[in-house]
Amino acid sequence: MVATARRMSPVALGLLIVDLMGALLLTVITPSFTSTYNLFITGRDFSILLLVALAQMIVLAIGQMNLSIGAIGGLVAIVESGLMVNAGTPVVIALGFGLLLGTACGVANGLLIHWTKVNSFILTLGTSYVYAGINLGITHATPFYHIPDVVSAFGQARTGAFPHVAIVTIVLTIALAVFLRQAVLGRQLLAVGGNAVAAALSGLPVRRVIVTAHGISGFFGAVAGTLLMAQLGEGQPTIGVTWILPSFAGPIIGGAVLSGGSAPLLGTVFAMVLVSLISDGLILVNANPYWVQFLVGALILAGVLLGRIRAVGLRDVFRLKSTVPGVAEQK
Amino acid sequence: MSTIAPARLVLAATGIRKQFPGVVALDDVSLRLRSGEIQALVGENGAGKSTLIKILTGVYQPDAGAVVIDGAPVRFGSARDALKAGISVVHQEHNLIPQFTVAENILLERIPTRLPQFVDYGAIHREARPWMSKVGLGMRSSKPVSELSAAQMQLVEIAKALSLEARILLLDEPTASITPHETGYLFRVLRELRAQGVAVVFVSHKLEEVYELADRVTVLRDGRNTALDYEIKGLTQDQMVTFMIGRSDVLAQLPGRPVHGEPVLEVRDLATEAGARGIRFTLHRGEILGLYGLVGAGRTELARAIIGELKVTGGEVIVRGRAAHIRDLRDALVRHRIGYVSENRKEEGLILLHSVLTNLSITIWRRLRLFGQWIRRSSEKAAVMPLVQQLDIRAHSLGQQVGTLSGGNQQKVSLGKWLAADVEVLIIDEPTIGIDIKTKSALHELIWNLAGGGKAIIVISSDMPEMVRLTDRILIMRNHRLVGEIANNHDYEEVSAAIMSRLS
Repeated sequence: MVATARRMSPVALGLLIVDLMGALLLTVITPSFTSTYNLFITGRDFSILLLVALAQMIVLAIGQMNLSIGAIGGLVAIVESGLMVNAGTPVVIALGFGLLLGTACGVANGLLIHWTKVNSFILTLGTSYVYAGINLGITHATPFYHIPDVVSAFGQARTGAFPHVAIVTIVLTIALAVFLRQAVLGRQLLAVGGNAVAAALSGLPVRRVIVTAHGISGFFGAVAGTLLMAQLGEGQPTIGVTWILPSFAGPIIGGAVLSGGSAPLLGTVFAMVLVSLISDGLILVNANPYWVQFLVGALILAGVLLGRIRAVGLRDVFRLKSTVPGVAEQK
Repeated sequence: MSTIAPARLVLAATGIRKQFPGVVALDDVSLRLRSGEIQALVGENGAGKSTLIKILTGVYQPDAGAVVIDGAPVRFGSARDALKAGISVVHQEHNLIPQFTVAENILLERIPTRLPQFVDYGAIHREARPWMSKVGLGMRSSKPVSELSAAQMQLVEIAKALSLEARILLLDEPTASITPHETGYLFRVLRELRAQGVAVVFVSHKLEEVYELADRVTVLRDGRNTALDYEIKGLTQDQMVTFMIGRSDVLAQLPGRPVHGEPVLEVRDLATEAGARGIRFTLHRGEILGLYGLVGAGRTELARAIIGELKVTGGEVIVRGRAAHIRDLRDALVRHRIGYVSENRKEEGLILLHSVLTNLSITIWRRLRLFGQWIRRSSEKAAVMPLVQQLDIRAHSLGQQVGTLSGGNQQKVSLGKWLAADVEVLIIDEPTIGIDIKTKSALHELIWNLAGGGKAIIVISSDMPEMVRLTDRILIMRNHRLVGEIANNHDYEEVSAAIMSRLS
């Protein structure tokens, strides 16, 4: 335990402590926080949003962004539910096809970015409207109701306070951790994010790496969309529209370097725990839930600022040392 | 030797020191400038010229020393402060806004306005024109800068500097990217400015230009003054070269090495998109081949064409007897076992935020993998540990960030990754740039021993003593052509004279 804590990044450790204190505080001030039902609901929301955050983290790791995670999640949920409800496609095939589609959307993002060299922010902003547009074109904004019981039952299932959808999240999170640490492609991904030129001049396959990162991002977004569909029991066209904030909140509060090269998985997990605690806590104390956005936004800013402070030191963040760009790095 | 006329002294920098992590860029450096004089600032790559310029223009702050302008000490907190004090710089890479017009660029800092905040376009062009004619820019003032040639952009920058009432004008390698004809014109403009009392600093590698233009010269070598404010007329070219590159006897002679083996890399009539034509040479197993030339001669571009990172437009590269069509560095490494150490280790060689381990093993992840994808940390560490010892890389642990190592140790890591990959051909671009003399010596020995162990090595360097000490054979490059080949007998006087004669 001590050894694990020592290997943990300072950001992750700090977030863990804040999480524990926050949980303790909520336990004391609101008895309903520790109720089985509340823990189940909070855990279920957390399980889905963590996947969304990891989908962003993997793209931030190569120094890019994916604004289309929500649109991919929504499109996948619609296609899956549409196949199951309207075409009577077997569950396994429908879900398998949906996840493949989500991955393909991510791969398309990666290939387009590589070919066109267009900034990932703009490119995925564009594709997000394409994916969301297909979604609305199929559904005309009406949900596919009554998805098969097996699916919605899984979305609602729990053992005690433990939501079964969390099993998917746990497995995928561990798989991603192992991939980044032990797989050749995972290491290459972080290297390309750290310095794409040096990586190319060391013989790494840069295109494959970029496409892989976006493919994983699309896959995680697709899984999140599928789980949310299962939880809601229907294919809602609006699935994913609110994901942009949590997707960035997790990795950025968790300590990701925006220029790439880092994938703070543990930090992202604990940051999402904090986000969940805040939204749950505000609801429990009957505060205006709209303030959640304000708080999460403020936390993101704090995360970014903390990153700057770690990179250049407290003094230089507030006192611009030089007006010439690029000089700050030459410390 | 130096005669000072205090009345005309406009700038005196004394005892300037500037340290970056792991390297002292400037140590006790001085510079004196007088109005109506052209001072050449000369030195090899990494000698500290750019750092000195950045200090004089307020981009860096010196760790020690003083800058005095018109008898009063100054301290620049920013580039703006220096501009206000009348110091302007014309950079190698232009500081113009391409989409703006010539006139707008000249008056960028103080665009004339009518009513508060409404740009007075008529006034912009009216005010810009006199400055344009002063440097002989004949085009319309409403032309976008993006449509100008490199030489014209330079003149726009000079016009801009003059409009800011610059009394001190610093030009950083102004002739690096312009034609000889344009250079002649630039020199005429600079002489005119001198006549008007401007103090001009002219940074250059090209000695013939220094002799043609400058009145006085200050030479830097390894961050120190080797000549301060000497009159050009009293200096022979030989003396100047000695000031610039020093003597080779600082470094001991390397021991003998077995003779070369069979050809490994043959380049036949290579032409590249960078402009190289008719490049021919053969590199043998166990050989260290030097590629000498001044900055801009096309050495790095040639290396990049060989490893497939720049387009080859003609001729052939033959690796171990077979024509190779190398697509990119990955292909060079995997199929042909060629490695390339960039001269720019921070931007192109290393992933600074990542560990020593990652930076050393990056080339062999493919080889280490099990079941298609998986790397075991233990086998990764086992693969690089011998290298850390062989190269004597000083790091707290394999997990230390490469960016926190000294320059010499960083260079060892960027060399080490190719040793890990066990390449047969290694192209090393400026192996010891910005590295202190002791580590330099160790790196030389290392490269020497690698060749002794059978590697075929190409060393690109602008460092003459390094060339003479380290290589077996020297190819001389000038303006993207090979202009000579010298069998190196390690006699410094003889070889450097032979090289110089082919460069002029």
